[in-house]
Amino acid sequence: MVVAGLTLLLGALPAAASPQPVVVASKIDTEGALLGNMILDVLAAHGIAVRNRLQLGPTNIVRAATLAGQIDIYPEYTGNGGLFFRMEKDPVWKSRVRGYAEIAKLDREKNHLIWLAPAPADNTWVIAVRQDLARRDHLATMSDFARWVNGGGRIKLAASAEFVESPSALPAFEASYGFRLSDRQLLTLAGGNTSATLRAAAEGMSGVDAAMAYGTDGAIAALGLVALDDDKGAQIVYAPAPVVRAAVLQQYPQIAGLLDPVFAGLTLATLQRLNAAIAVDGEDAGSVAADYLKSRHPPP
Amino acid sequence: MTLPADPATRRPALGLPAGVGNPVLLVLVIVAAAAAAASGFVALAPNRLVSGRPIGLLSAAGAAPTIAVAALGALLLAAALLPPRKPLHAAAAGLAALLLLSTLAAAGDAASTIAAAAGPAARVSLGAAFWAIAACAALAIVDQMQRLRAGPALRLLTVLAIAGGFAALALAGTFDQLAIAREYATRHQLFAEALGRHVALVAGSLGPALALGFPLGIAAVRVPRLQGPLFAVLNTLQTVPSIALFGLLIVPLSALAAALPGLAALGVGGIGPAPAIVALVLYALLPIVRNTAAGLAGIDRAVIEAARGMGLTQRQIFYRVELPLASPVLLAGLRIVIVQTIGLAVVAALIGAGGLGTFVFEGLGQYALDLVLLGALPAIFLALGADFLLQTVAALLPFRARR
Repeated sequence: MVVAGLTLLLGALPAAASPQPVVVASKIDTEGALLGNMILDVLAAHGIAVRNRLQLGPTNIVRAATLAGQIDIYPEYTGNGGLFFRMEKDPVWKSRVRGYAEIAKLDREKNHLIWLAPAPADNTWVIAVRQDLARRDHLATMSDFARWVNGGGRIKLAASAEFVESPSALPAFEASYGFRLSDRQLLTLAGGNTSATLRAAAEGMSGVDAAMAYGTDGAIAALGLVALDDDKGAQIVYAPAPVVRAAVLQQYPQIAGLLDPVFAGLTLATLQRLNAAIAVDGEDAGSVAADYLKSRHPPP
Repeated sequence: MTLPADPATRRPALGLPAGVGNPVLLVLVIVAAAAAAASGFVALAPNRLVSGRPIGLLSAAGAAPTIAVAALGALLLAAALLPPRKPLHAAAAGLAALLLLSTLAAAGDAASTIAAAAGPAARVSLGAAFWAIAACAALAIVDQMQRLRAGPALRLLTVLAIAGGFAALALAGTFDQLAIAREYATRHQLFAEALGRHVALVAGSLGPALALGFPLGIAAVRVPRLQGPLFAVLNTLQTVPSIALFGLLIVPLSALAAALPGLAALGVGGIGPAPAIVALVLYALLPIVRNTAAGLAGIDRAVIEAARGMGLTQRQIFYRVELPLASPVLLAGLRIVIVQTIGLAVVAALIGAGGLGTFVFEGLGQYALDLVLLGALPAIFLALGADFLLQTVAALLPFRARR
């Protein structure tokens, strides 16, 4: 306790003399830009000096920069703990509560990174099908999908090679629900771009009527697709949460109290709607984040 | 931008009748006309994620712009069939420039008309026919300028005239409803910043690259033993993927910034411009060193012997004989390096250095191709512009490159 207090004091002293801005970063994608802008806006609105490093780069670059102390806070997904700590096969990541507890503990102990409260949303891999198909064949869940495929229903799924091959993706769906897609029922696209797979399904390219997607993808509804519910929990849970360096949180302990209510309001439907405003309507991520915060969390 | 040398005196090619004056122009007109007839001039999509439905030139732009484009095409066809003469080349270059600008104007007008009738999320993007006509018009201008044997001044004037026409159309709001302009409108502040940052990244890496590469190139010629290992290292560097290089640079640069707070205050760190500039410098070294070495090694030994015989010192020989004689090759190397660095700087967005790559990668992630173009097109024009300027400088040098 005394040691912690001393470290806090020593850590805070030089900073008080010349306040270092809090470096806020995000990954380069749509949701990274959205969540990063929210963190940036909330901290700035409460008088914390911030430095904008949003849309910095892909996951490996952002993570490496955070571990090197170049980034103070950024939004990350709980399920990536498997990737970061080489525990991809561990079933802990399939549980929202236990997965969060695990990555929070590992990162706190090994990297002095603190995971704040995650959003009640899951940006995991999902399978989305055309709305007309879903309505006609009563497809709402992955169990329905398995029944349809096993009953000889016509389906062609567009997916990335990673989704098809990674044991935690399509093979996990197939094992949990007891179905198997043949090569003829798959269209494998290079790269992991869900915009491309969703577009293929929406436009029926090469007979595709289902697509790999992410749960919070804004484009699913806009393209006339519907995401099937993972009713047996086959997939790893990817709940977005702010990750902050312990030293920075000690310096600004109020950050947790400021961001927790914001992330608590980010449900799956909310994230889909906000991501769609950016990806489908082409609005700027900064103004989408600012408008949302103004409507839900007015500044003090 | 360089077509085969001096086509003016060449015999008609492609098995065309001997009376055909300019087969290159003829082919360009035919390609443009075929594209206009067969593919969409613009494409209308209900939102920016789905593919657009192609709309032909006539139904997109209306009668008057279509007739204008067709008439200019017909005049260029006539110019292609007439026997070549200097005034004809000048007229054809002017016609092609007019065709380029009226195609741009027609696309902008078409987008305004179509967008007014569609919903707010609808996007009008440029179609295959537009790109084909614009590219053929641009190539026709280049071809006619070469046949005219236009000097640097005339080339510069032509480029400025076309750029001026484009700027006038843009300022008048002609392009405002095109999808790429809509992407620009939501990001106009970021765009200026990204463009400035891109230029700064290129300029910031060229300085150190020249300061390092030029002496290394000289050393490679003076000490032949050095050549093998030096080029082995530089060739290897060139093959390292940029994203891997960025990843490798984060840790040492972060440590450097932590050890020397003065450097950190200057903005040096594991992310941002520092790793991007280090990577761009490393990639630029190979062409600079290679061209410096090739330029100096290519000088006739007899010239240097003569200079020595006249009593010039080693230093005088370098500055008065070797450097001027090698300068065309050195400038050619500089052109390669600048164009390469402008292109590679796009990747710098992946390490938080900003620049035009920000739009390219954001657009790739969203599959919003117009956003990709908003990053890619300015990068292409920066590269072409820089190349053109250096070409003009090279043309004004007293020593021309030997063909």
